[in-house]
Amino acid sequence: MISVNNLEKKIGSVKAMNNLSFTAQNGKITGLLGPNGAGKTTCLRTVFGLLKADSGNAEIDGIDVAKEPMAAKQKLGLFPDPCGLYERLTPREYIQFYAELSGMETDAAKAATQDVLSKLKMDDIADRRCQGFSQGQHMKTALAQAIVHKPTNIILDEPTRGLDVMSTRILRELLLMLKEQGHCVLFSSHVMQEVAALCDHVVVMAKGQVVAEGSPAELCERTGKESLEEAFIELIGSDEGIAA
Amino acid sequence: MMKLLSVLFKKEVLDASRDKRSVMAGLYYAIGTPIIMCLLFSVMLKQFASAEDLKITIKNPEQAPNLVQYLESKEIVHGTGEDVKDIVLEISDDFAVKMSEGRPATVTVIADKSNDKLRKSISRLERSLARYNSEVAGLRLLARGVDPTLMRAVDVQVHDQATPDSKGGMFLGIATLSIVLTLFYAAMNLAIDTSAGERERNSIALLLSHPISTLQIVLAKSGAIATFSMLGLALILVVSKFAYGMVPWEQLGFSVNLSIEFMLFCFVIGLPIALMSASLQVFVSFMAKSFKEAQTYVTMVLFVPMGLSMVTTYDIATDVVQWLPIAAQQYAMIEFIKGNDIPVAQLALSTLVTLGLFGVLSYLSSRMLKSEKVVFGL
Repeated sequence: MISVNNLEKKIGSVKAMNNLSFTAQNGKITGLLGPNGAGKTTCLRTVFGLLKADSGNAEIDGIDVAKEPMAAKQKLGLFPDPCGLYERLTPREYIQFYAELSGMETDAAKAATQDVLSKLKMDDIADRRCQGFSQGQHMKTALAQAIVHKPTNIILDEPTRGLDVMSTRILRELLLMLKEQGHCVLFSSHVMQEVAALCDHVVVMAKGQVVAEGSPAELCERTGKESLEEAFIELIGSDEGIAA
Repeated sequence: MMKLLSVLFKKEVLDASRDKRSVMAGLYYAIGTPIIMCLLFSVMLKQFASAEDLKITIKNPEQAPNLVQYLESKEIVHGTGEDVKDIVLEISDDFAVKMSEGRPATVTVIADKSNDKLRKSISRLERSLARYNSEVAGLRLLARGVDPTLMRAVDVQVHDQATPDSKGGMFLGIATLSIVLTLFYAAMNLAIDTSAGERERNSIALLLSHPISTLQIVLAKSGAIATFSMLGLALILVVSKFAYGMVPWEQLGFSVNLSIEFMLFCFVIGLPIALMSASLQVFVSFMAKSFKEAQTYVTMVLFVPMGLSMVTTYDIATDVVQWLPIAAQQYAMIEFIKGNDIPVAQLALSTLVTLGLFGVLSYLSSRMLKSEKVVFGL
């Protein structure tokens, strides 16, 4: 479970987070939806402890990230944006490296790496160096790294960017599977179809604030619109920054 | 803690070893420097060695066969062709007559004394002529029953205190300078790649989001860089051993011989320097936002160890400088080759300071990685 409580942060003169609060439950996929510049990435970076909030806190399974970063980070799997790979390593080495960093023993990490490689259908590129990977292969490698150690909580920052249809489907199935297994999945996106198809709970953000939250159906109902896209525009009050 | 450190270290070494260009750049330094030094030394030693024949134009040689023969024994000869110096020695037409009468016989040296290139040759000719002059004069006095030593009021004796060792000092300084600097230059590109490069590629954020401390990251990186520096050190020592073996040292009566003991000694005192150098380069590179910027900063910062090493090489202010890190280690290396006692106190203190710097720089880098300004450039 990930909970964000009254987060505030100013970056320069911009208020990136303005009293931001929401909760992502275990066994559910929570989508963070907002236009570009709404503060999604800032919020996620605060959750994984890379940014310090001016006030408020973020908790992972009840552990305050700012106070006990090591314990909190152990319960997290991450897919950041942007996510640079080590181009001279192969996906297998890369994924195993992060599995071991997350605390797995070498043998277990090796087995888990093979497991996730087959799950994501990456066997053909597993032993090729990451240099020159296509966007899709790049994203898959980064994604595999996020879930290899089977963390309770998984945070993905715009995971579908650059993925082709096949990969998007794989990602979707994967997220649903993680949800079945009782993981807490939190991802940010500005792609409506993605969010509508996957999320149990949607948190709509604009200008660093939560504008509305609820299931996609609830949001449509509340705004009296047919689609999530229409509902979203109604909620944030403009159609600025939407990529569909 | 140790497990994570070793996982990080292994990844850094694997990643760096596949960065062929950076590794090769380090190897070129380690292999190339001793070879260049070897050529340079050979040329310098040639300069030190006895001068070559001095070819000049001698007019009227038939008037003074004795003088010409004397000059020939001093390797000053009449020559033709391109390498004849623009110096003319004109022997007067009545030279033989005046000589036989015991009156001053005239020789004229015609040359441009403002020409720097000729100055050495002119004075060499003049010295030889003066010596011939006093030799003949001595013989004349002897023939008249006068002791020629009467002409020598003061007997100037010069004792050259230069030992073969001290003559070799400068060569040793330069040789050890190139060895010490390997620890700074061999892994420079790797150091920049693993810090500034990691930021530029946006991979640092993910690394920092894992349950490891920033100090572990910095130590693993420094450790990997130091490993490659030590590899460079081993290589330059081996190459130096063979390269310096080919320099014609005998002209100096001294030889720079790198024994196995010396190589081991360098390896031991080099390790703290390698760690310090790695942490220094990581620290400086993390301050830069891009690879190129880091290259500029690191090159600038490396003037400091280079300066310290130079000061030792040219033996400036040895009393004070020999206590400073890098300078002291290099000084100890020079003393080791010379076979003198190793300055233990200086070496111990400077090694401690070197390790202290490694600690401080690593701590500062780890602090820097906690700053969101550094990580995201906010």
